[in-house]
Amino acid sequence: MPREIALLDALMPTLILAFIAALLLYWLLDKVLVWLGVYQFIWYRALFRLSLFSCLFCALGLLIY
Amino acid sequence: MKDLYKHILRISLTLMIVAVAIILGHMLWVRYMDSPWTRDGRVRADVVNIASDVSGLVTEVVVRDNQFVKKGDLLFRIDAERYHHSLEEAEARLQQRKITLALKRGQSTRRAMLDDQVISREDREDSDLVTLAAKADLDQALAERDHAKLNLQRTEVRAPVDGWVSNLLVRPGDYAQAGAAKLALIDQKSYWVYGYFEEHKLHLIHLNDPVEIRLLGTDIVLKGHVESIARGITDRDNPTDVRLLANVNPSFNWVRLAQRVPVRVHIDEIPAGVELVAGMTCSVIVHPAS
Repeated sequence: MPREIALLDALMPTLILAFIAALLLYWLLDKVLVWLGVYQFIWYRALFRLSLFSCLFCALGLLIY
Repeated sequence: MKDLYKHILRISLTLMIVAVAIILGHMLWVRYMDSPWTRDGRVRADVVNIASDVSGLVTEVVVRDNQFVKKGDLLFRIDAERYHHSLEEAEARLQQRKITLALKRGQSTRRAMLDDQVISREDREDSDLVTLAAKADLDQALAERDHAKLNLQRTEVRAPVDGWVSNLLVRPGDYAQAGAAKLALIDQKSYWVYGYFEEHKLHLIHLNDPVEIRLLGTDIVLKGHVESIARGITDRDNPTDVRLLANVNPSFNWVRLAQRVPVRVHIDEIPAGVELVAGMTCSVIVHPAS
């Protein structure tokens, strides 16, 4: 996997792709978790959501690099 | 009691995912910032500056721009007429010195046979030395002849290595000054890559570590290994002034830019069909051997 991609001829880190993919994944996962009612077992929901997104983004990033 | 368990579960679930996020974030940060790779790589090649060894008008340029030439191929020709004349002059002088030597030798042998009644002893003794001097003159003329021959040979400027002529600007009619570079020749076998690594990444790089080179904006991957690491770069913060005093740049205390140190990468493998051009930009990724 190349470490940078050309986006409209501008060279960007592939991490940007990982970021967008993580956003989509997070959005889907969040829907599923709401549907399952997992959030009633969560202390601070905002903190949980932020951490969930971070986990997804970092895991994707680690796959690339 | 059940509420307490539920509360503990809620808190621990949340804290667990926060901890995992922090650990993953830290791993990504380390991988991204501290692994030895750089976007600032350049393909380089040795360039020979071709200059003529003798001065004169350029009469003929036999190569085209970007042409591949073999070692020893003719590049351009300098007007040889003047050098022909000097060779003839040197030949003539050589001839003259030969005759002079024969003359002096004859005199010397003749004088050796005469006795003191006819010729003074001084004259007789000197005649030997005069012959020797004439011999030395002959040797000098010989060397001058060879010199003139060499100059004539050097009016043909030839390629010292296999490679490509680059940015050919010399034209017939130009005046070529001896020693002044007239064209550039890129050595075919000399391509290498310079990776400019941040100084804090240098300790991660070792000699002979395998290297991956990616040319800018393409999927082309070249393989290589670390050949050497530069042992010095300019201290940009400390130029000297005209009175030789230090002129230290005031710098920010907080934000410091890491300087770049060149790491020389030997190219081991080029995919078929890829033509390297000196000056190309590339990403250099070192895979530490251990």
